[in-house]
Amino acid sequence: MSAPTQPPTPHPDDELWVEGADWESVVDAVDDQRMTVNMGPQHPSTHGVLRLLLELDGEIVTKLQPIIGYLHTGIEKNAEYRAWHQGPTFFTRMDYVAPLFNEHAYCLAVEKLLDIRVPERAEVARVILLEFNRIASHLIWLATGGMELGATTVMTMGFGLREHILDLFESQSGLRMNHAFFRPGGIAHDLTDDFEARCEALLEMIPGKMRDFEDLLRKNPIFNDRLRDVGYIDADTCLAYGVTGPILRAAGVPWDLRKTQPYSGYERYDFEVPTSDLADCWGRFEVRIAEIDQSMRIIRQALDQLPAGRVMVDDKHIAWPSQQSLGVDGVGNDPEYIRHIMGESMEALINHFKLVTQGFTVPAGQVYVPVESPRGELGYAVTSAGTNKPYRVHVRDPSFVNLQAADVMSRGGSVSDVIVVVASLDPIMGGVDR
Amino acid sequence: MSDQPTTATTAETPAMPATDHAPATVRGTLGSPLSHEALTLRILDRFPTVRTDVHRGELTFFVDPGEVVDLLTFCRDDDDLSCALLADLSGVHFPAGEHVVERQASTTGWPEHRVSRDVGVVEVLYVLRSIARNHWFRVSVAVSDVEGESTVPTVTHLFPTANFHEREVYDLFGVVFEGHPNLERILMPDDWLGHPQRKDYPLGGVDITYKNDKFIPPPDERDIREIVE
Amino acid sequence: MGLENKLPNGVLLTNLERFVSYSRSTSMWPATFGLACCAIEMMAAGGPRHDIGRFGMEVFRASPRQADLMIVAGRVSQKMAPVLRRIYDQMSDPKWVLSMGVCATSGGMFNNYALVQGVDHIVPVDMYVPGCPPRPEMLLDGILKLREQVRTSTFAELADHS
Repeated sequence: MSAPTQPPTPHPDDELWVEGADWESVVDAVDDQRMTVNMGPQHPSTHGVLRLLLELDGEIVTKLQPIIGYLHTGIEKNAEYRAWHQGPTFFTRMDYVAPLFNEHAYCLAVEKLLDIRVPERAEVARVILLEFNRIASHLIWLATGGMELGATTVMTMGFGLREHILDLFESQSGLRMNHAFFRPGGIAHDLTDDFEARCEALLEMIPGKMRDFEDLLRKNPIFNDRLRDVGYIDADTCLAYGVTGPILRAAGVPWDLRKTQPYSGYERYDFEVPTSDLADCWGRFEVRIAEIDQSMRIIRQALDQLPAGRVMVDDKHIAWPSQQSLGVDGVGNDPEYIRHIMGESMEALINHFKLVTQGFTVPAGQVYVPVESPRGELGYAVTSAGTNKPYRVHVRDPSFVNLQAADVMSRGGSVSDVIVVVASLDPIMGGVDR
Repeated sequence: MSDQPTTATTAETPAMPATDHAPATVRGTLGSPLSHEALTLRILDRFPTVRTDVHRGELTFFVDPGEVVDLLTFCRDDDDLSCALLADLSGVHFPAGEHVVERQASTTGWPEHRVSRDVGVVEVLYVLRSIARNHWFRVSVAVSDVEGESTVPTVTHLFPTANFHEREVYDLFGVVFEGHPNLERILMPDDWLGHPQRKDYPLGGVDITYKNDKFIPPPDERDIREIVE
Repeated sequence: MGLENKLPNGVLLTNLERFVSYSRSTSMWPATFGLACCAIEMMAAGGPRHDIGRFGMEVFRASPRQADLMIVAGRVSQKMAPVLRRIYDQMSDPKWVLSMGVCATSGGMFNNYALVQGVDHIVPVDMYVPGCPPRPEMLLDGILKLREQVRTSTFAELADHS
């Protein structure tokens, strides 16, 4: 179907089509002060390029329509033209604030199609990095949310603490963001020798800084006033709108995919699922702060359980052939491995070449793998046609679905509450528009 | 380091055992999950013509477009199934004729990817999840991909979350959801022509392959619309 | 309209040029145009570790009319392109554009239907900062080089700059 060539026929109840000259007739007929205001897509207080069409009755919001698509990048289609192992590089840029979750869900889906299991060390390392990423994502939420409310100190504190977590990511994967570190079969290369020391240092530092946040915000009367009783949504409405994650948990439903549909060894860790029965922005604030604590608990247990061994599956047809080591001039290909493939074994060289250029093939089938990202249920519906490229990858992004609840949550509130509501939904437009 | 022959056979077993795809047995908020057999029996009891399949531990029901609304209503309202959450609604395009992904053959040397079908369909997938019982399954509807015949009834009156999802499937695949309150483009600009995620829609972009006799003109002399078409 | 458009052609004003260019370079205020991942790195550049406030640029103005540097941070989709141009038009002279990241510079890894393959198709760009995303240090380096460029530019060059 192509674009409409005429104006749409209006619904008789609540839509009016007005074209300039007949404005007076409409205004006389309609008695109230209703006006339509457009917020965005470029606006400092909307998370990224989100456009909100507000219908206001004076200062009260009667309807909110989110208009998205300003960051649509065609990632899903682009991935159909790349090999399976190139997928993480693309998908990691969807939810760019929690990139490891995208990679993780994609790798889980591909591994499910391949019917393989990643080595223990890779699984535990993934969990540690994922939980640190959850903490970093919640810090960005806190920082940007605080900035949008006017608390600029929270922004500097949040980003300052996040820098330390990014140092850890950079030391392991080489990049601060958009790492492409998780590959189907495990992780790209082994963790560094000082990984555990770095994690311990972080685990010592974060609780103190979180106490600073609590001291600054929890009893602050302005923060309380702006967040309490704002953006109420109850559990049934949440489920009707498909809302998952901290918003659903703040409505009282203890639904966390790490507990209910465990993956990647989460059943081995002892942690709680924080909930709140306030179902407003303050409840979501409490849930996310508590989730940071629980993440640190998981990291502590995972660090104690981190085994030695391989980090990539032992199957030569799938395993990413990277063998990296720290040499005199920095991290690079292991000279032993290079000597082996160049000098000793033609088959290993061909294998390396084919894996890197063509990639591995995945048996035909369809899977849907959900993970619990900091924003909710992040699901990858992957279809394979039995070749070396994905046939179709659809990403069920939590921000895309959660945005639909913004309408319900802001009706009856004022315009400034809309900012708080959108901040508490924590949408990341890269995931919304993909 | 032992070397394996590069012919892809299944003779080699991976070092770790394959994933155990048994569904989780954790209880939901109200009850225990139903097994695949119990779910299948419950659905087939009411909808005997539905086809089922289990792959990698995932249960899928294949229905006709006309039965979708009834089936989803039943899944939502039935006490045993009690699927309150429509987790995902997506589309996959399987075009008719022979579909070849040929763009890479000349630049990468990758093997051609050929898929051949008689009838083109857009497969609309609904993932239904039960919070009360902690089970989930997928419903797959094959909709014709011919323009004008590509329609399926909407489920927004059952699951309001389907609003954005159905708009996305319409925008990217051209499937019309009858009864949708606001079926407009959601990701592409409003006046975009074509449905980008279909397999017969080109990837677009700029040709950046270096060939000796062609060079990329400076930005103000490039004509980008020609290439995207 | 800037000072250069008010002066008659051919008049040499070296000291005035130097003073005005120096002032413009040190008082650049960026407009918020954070789109995607690069926006997070831009915010991190404003954070305490890579403090952009040292250069007087921590005030990211929301209104384009108050800003003179537009840092296009992130991928520009087809839907966003008219908005970008409108924001650029609303900025008053003199204005500069810094394209941050490879997506803004050339479309990046997303060579497809959905993205404009480089914002220089839409607005004239003064500085390209590659990276995916560029580290905050790289962004600061690009900003400093742009400031250097502005500081040493003459009125004749600026008059053509539109």
